[in-house]
Amino acid sequence: MFKKLLVANRGEIAIRIMRSAQELGIRTVAVYEETDKTAMHIMKSDEAVCIGAGPRKDYLDIDRIIQAAKATGADAIHPGYGFLAENPLFSKRCTDNGLLFVGPPPEVIADMGSKVVARRIMTEAGIPVIPGSPVLSQGEAGEREAVRFAEEHGFPVMIKAVAGGGGRGIRAAKTMEELISGLRLARSEARMAFGDDSIYLEKGLINPRHVEVQILADNYGAVIHLGTRNCSIQRRHQKLVEIAPANLPPLILERICADAVRAAKAARYVNAGTVEFLIDDQDQYYFLEVNTRIQVEHTVTEMVTGIDIVREQLRIAAGEPLSLRQQDIQIRGWSIELRINAEDPKNNFMPSPGTIRVYQSPGGHGVRLDGAIYQGYEIPRFYDSMLVKLTVYGFTWREAVDRLRRALDGFSIVGVPTTIPFYKQIVQDRDFVEQRFDTSYIDTHPQLLDYREEARPLDRLARLIAEINAYGYNPYAHDRP
Amino acid sequence: MADRERILPSMSPSEIIAFVRETPGYFLTNNERDVSQSDFKCRILPWTTLRVAPYRDDTGYFAFEITGGASIHVDLMAKQINPFEKLRLVRQHMPNTLIQTVCRGRNLFGYRPYPDNLLQMTVALFARYVDVWRVYDFLNHVPNMEVVGRAVQKAGKLLMPCICFSTGVGHTDEYYVDKVREILETFGEEIILCIKNHSALGSPRRIASLVQALRTHYPELVLAYHGHNTDGNDLSRMVAAAESGVKILEVADHGFGGMFSQAPALSLIQTLHDYGFQAPGLKVQPIVDASDLLRRERRHYERFETPFRGFDPTVKRHRLTGGAASMAFEQAEKLGLLERIHEVFSELMNVNKELGNIWSVTPGSQILWTTAVSNVLHGRYEQPSDDLKNLLLGRYGPFPFYDPQEWIYEKVLEHKRRDGKKWYQILADEAGIQKLPDVDLETKRRELQERIKQPVDDESLCLYLQFPKDAVEYFRFEETFGKTWLLPPQVWYRRGGFPDGETILIPDEQGRTHQIDVVSTSRKEGAVETSLLVDFHFQTYSVPVGSGSQSG
Repeated sequence: MFKKLLVANRGEIAIRIMRSAQELGIRTVAVYEETDKTAMHIMKSDEAVCIGAGPRKDYLDIDRIIQAAKATGADAIHPGYGFLAENPLFSKRCTDNGLLFVGPPPEVIADMGSKVVARRIMTEAGIPVIPGSPVLSQGEAGEREAVRFAEEHGFPVMIKAVAGGGGRGIRAAKTMEELISGLRLARSEARMAFGDDSIYLEKGLINPRHVEVQILADNYGAVIHLGTRNCSIQRRHQKLVEIAPANLPPLILERICADAVRAAKAARYVNAGTVEFLIDDQDQYYFLEVNTRIQVEHTVTEMVTGIDIVREQLRIAAGEPLSLRQQDIQIRGWSIELRINAEDPKNNFMPSPGTIRVYQSPGGHGVRLDGAIYQGYEIPRFYDSMLVKLTVYGFTWREAVDRLRRALDGFSIVGVPTTIPFYKQIVQDRDFVEQRFDTSYIDTHPQLLDYREEARPLDRLARLIAEINAYGYNPYAHDRP
Repeated sequence: MADRERILPSMSPSEIIAFVRETPGYFLTNNERDVSQSDFKCRILPWTTLRVAPYRDDTGYFAFEITGGASIHVDLMAKQINPFEKLRLVRQHMPNTLIQTVCRGRNLFGYRPYPDNLLQMTVALFARYVDVWRVYDFLNHVPNMEVVGRAVQKAGKLLMPCICFSTGVGHTDEYYVDKVREILETFGEEIILCIKNHSALGSPRRIASLVQALRTHYPELVLAYHGHNTDGNDLSRMVAAAESGVKILEVADHGFGGMFSQAPALSLIQTLHDYGFQAPGLKVQPIVDASDLLRRERRHYERFETPFRGFDPTVKRHRLTGGAASMAFEQAEKLGLLERIHEVFSELMNVNKELGNIWSVTPGSQILWTTAVSNVLHGRYEQPSDDLKNLLLGRYGPFPFYDPQEWIYEKVLEHKRRDGKKWYQILADEAGIQKLPDVDLETKRRELQERIKQPVDDESLCLYLQFPKDAVEYFRFEETFGKTWLLPPQVWYRRGGFPDGETILIPDEQGRTHQIDVVSTSRKEGAVETSLLVDFHFQTYSVPVGSGSQSG
C-alpha cells in the first residue's frame, strides 16, 4: 500500500476520500486555491498545499497538482468527482510521473468519455443500447441525417454532445422544428462547454427511470457489482435524490447487474465505476453511459452493502486484487441520499452563497452525513453549492423514508437558503413515499415548491432582544422613557 | 347537581345558573383583567398569567376574567399579542375554569359605539373562548346592551348583564330594581345579574340594602358583585353582599392586586368563613401558591404601578373607577397639574353633579375626568371635547336622572359652531342615539389584506375594525418577531439594555427551554451591535439607532 495520497479535489468528497485513506494509515495531502483557503477539507488533511490563486482554474491545472504531489512526497492521487476526475490526460500524466492514479487507466476514461466509442463497445458486447445515430455531419447534411433518424425512431429525440456527461450537453426535441433548431443550439453549447461541437442523436424514452449499477474491477480482470441505484429524481438532468437499491423485478435486476459486469469487462475497466441505464415503463433497459469515477451517490451503495467503496478504490490502485467475491455481496435494506445545497428552490434553485451562521446537524441510527461546512464558514461563490450530503439507511423502505424525514427535521442551517424545505416536501409526498417516481417526477410535482419558509422562532426573538438592547427600552411596548 | 364538584366550561348557561343558585355558599371570580387594568396599566403579560394558570385552574373559581375592557387594545398596542391567541393559551392552560370578559355594550372594548354587524361578529368570535359575558352600559341604558347580549345568548354563552352602581341623587333601590326589571324583560331569566360597583362606592349597609331589594323582587335571580377596593373597604361590602344573598364575588390574588382593583381572595374567604359561609369546591392552597409566585413576578411590573400608593377614601367624592383613579395622579403630574390636583378633584365633583350624576365608568369616566381637567385649565366648559358634546346630545343614551342645566348645553353645543345654531335647535335636530350603518366586512378585509400582504381571517379583521392602526402594527410585528408571550416581563419591559453575561431562558411554544446569552454590546456609527449566543450559536445583530424614529 502506498504511504501518502494527494486528493485532487475539494469539499465533501475530498474529506470522504481522506477518511478512508486515514483508516488505511495513508497520510493525506489536500490541495486548495487561494479563494478556497477556509475550506474544511484543508483542516481534515494531514498536510495541505496551496496550488494557486484560483478560482477553479488551479483545481483544473494538472501541472500544479502533480507538482504538489511531488513536493509533498505523495505517491498516489485520487481525483474525486468533477474537476479532473474524467480527464484521461490527468490519469496519464499521473502515471507518467510515477504517481498511482486512483481510477481507471487513461484509455478507459477516454473510451467511456466518448459517447460514440462507449456505445460501440457496448453494442459489440451485446448490451442493449438506445437506438442512436453516428456523429452528425456538420451543416445541412447533419440536419438531413437528423430528420431521417427522427422519421425512423419517432419522437422524442435526444440531442447529445459527444463530449458531454453528468447530465450536461443534452437537449430533448419533441417535434421536427425543435430538432432542427436544437441541433444548432446543442452544437454551440457543446463548443462552449466542452470545446468540441460533435453531437449525435438518441431515441428519447418517455419518462424513463434512471438506474445505475456500481461496479468494482481490479487490475487482474476480476469485476463484481455492488447492486443498483435509482437516480430518477432529477432536475434538469441533475440528480437530486438517489436510492439503493433500485426497486426492480428480480429477473430484470439479475440481468441488468450481469450486463453491467459484462460492460465493465468489455471496456477493460479497472477501479470503481458506474454503468448507467435508462429503463422504460416495460422494464426494458438501455445502456446510457459509464462514469469512470467515484460518484456523489456512492454512499447509498455503501449503506446497503456495508462496503467502503473508496477503501476498495485505494486497494485496487495499490495493485491489490479484489478482496470480495460476488457472492460476498449482500444487499440489505434501503438507503436514500440527498444533496443539501445552498440554493433557493423558490428562485429556480439559484445558488446562494453566504455565511453559515448556524449549523446543527442530525445524527443517530442510520444517519450518515458527508459534509464540508462549519458554523461561520463563508461559502465561496466559485464552486458548487453542495453543503452536505445526507444519507439514511432503513431496514425497510418505509423506515428509510421516516428516518429521512426525521433527519431533515434535525437540520438547522441559518445564513443561506437551502434545499432542505424542498426535500421536506418530497419526503411527505405520497408518490415518493409509495415509490412512484421516474425522471418526470420533479416536473410533474410542481406543488413541491409550494412551501413557506420561516425564520426559527428563537432567532426572531433574539432579534427583538437585540433591538431592546440597542434602544435601552422596548420600542414595541409603548414604554418609551 | 350534587354529583358535580365544580363548574366546568362544558356546562350550559342554564346548568351553570342552576348550579350556582342551588349550591349553598358563595363563589369567587378571579379578575386578573381588572387587576392588570386598575393597578398595572393593563401591562401584565401572558407570561405571568400562564405561569400561575395551573394554580388558578386548580382553585375552583367560578370564572377567570382575563379579557375585555381596555385589555384588547393594550394587548395589541403594548404587548404585541393577539387577544384571541391569548385566550387560546389561557383556555389551554386553564381547561377547567370559565373564562370571563367585560364588554362595554355598544362600545365593545373601545370608547365609541360600533355598528351592529361588528358587534355581532366580535361576540361570535370571542365567544369561541369566552364563557361568561359581563356586559354593561355606562348610562345603564339597556337598549345599548341589547345587540351584544342577544349575540352572547345566540352563541350559547352565559350572559351577565350589569347594573352600574353609584350613589347620590337618583341612585335609589327603586331605580335599580326597575333597571333590573328592564334587563329581565330584554334578556329573559337565564342570566346572572352583576352589580358593578366600579368606583368602590356605598357602605356595606348600602350594598346590603340594594341586594335585599333585588332579592325581594327577583328571588330566583342569581346575583354577582363586582367591586373595587379603592377605598380599602370592599371586603366589608362583599361580606354584606354575601350575607344578603349575592352568590358570586370578584377578587384578586393577594400577591398582586388589592389597591385600585379587587380585594384579596384569601382575606374574603377567611372573613366569610368566620361568618359561616363556605365556598363549595374552592381550594385555599393553590391561592397561596399562586400569590407566592405572583409576589416574585410583581417587581418586574413595578414601573406600571401608580406612584401614589395607598387607598383613596376620597373616591367617595370624585367617584373615579379603579383604572381611572390610578391614572389620574399621573396624568395630572404630566399636565403639570399636580399642585392643583385638589382643584381638579373638586371640579370633578362639580362636573359629576352638573352632568346628571351618571356613572363614572368607561367611557363616562374619561369624559368626566377630561372635562374636569379642561375646566381647570381653560375655564369651565370653555373647551369641551367632542365626546362631551356627544354625551349632551344623547348619542350614548339619555341622562337617567336629570339633564344638565341649560347654560352647559349652550356652552358645549354652541362651541365652535359655525352655522350659528342655538343649542336647543341643535338638540332638536341632532340629538339621540344614532343607528350606525353596518360596516362592509369584505371591503375591509381586502383593504387589510392589501396593507399586510397576507390572508386575513375573521379574527384579524375583527381586531382591525376596532383598532385599525394598532392592529396593523401588531400584525407586522408578529410577522417579524413572532410570539411575545414567550418572553418574561424582565425582558419585555427591560430598561437600560442587557449586561454582558446575562442569560435569558425562553421556553418555546412546546415548552422546551432555549437559552440566549448576551455576549457583548458595542456602538458603531449610529448602530448598536449586539452579540448573542442563541442556543449556543453565535449571532450578531446590528440595530440602527441614529434616527430614533422607532415608534414608542
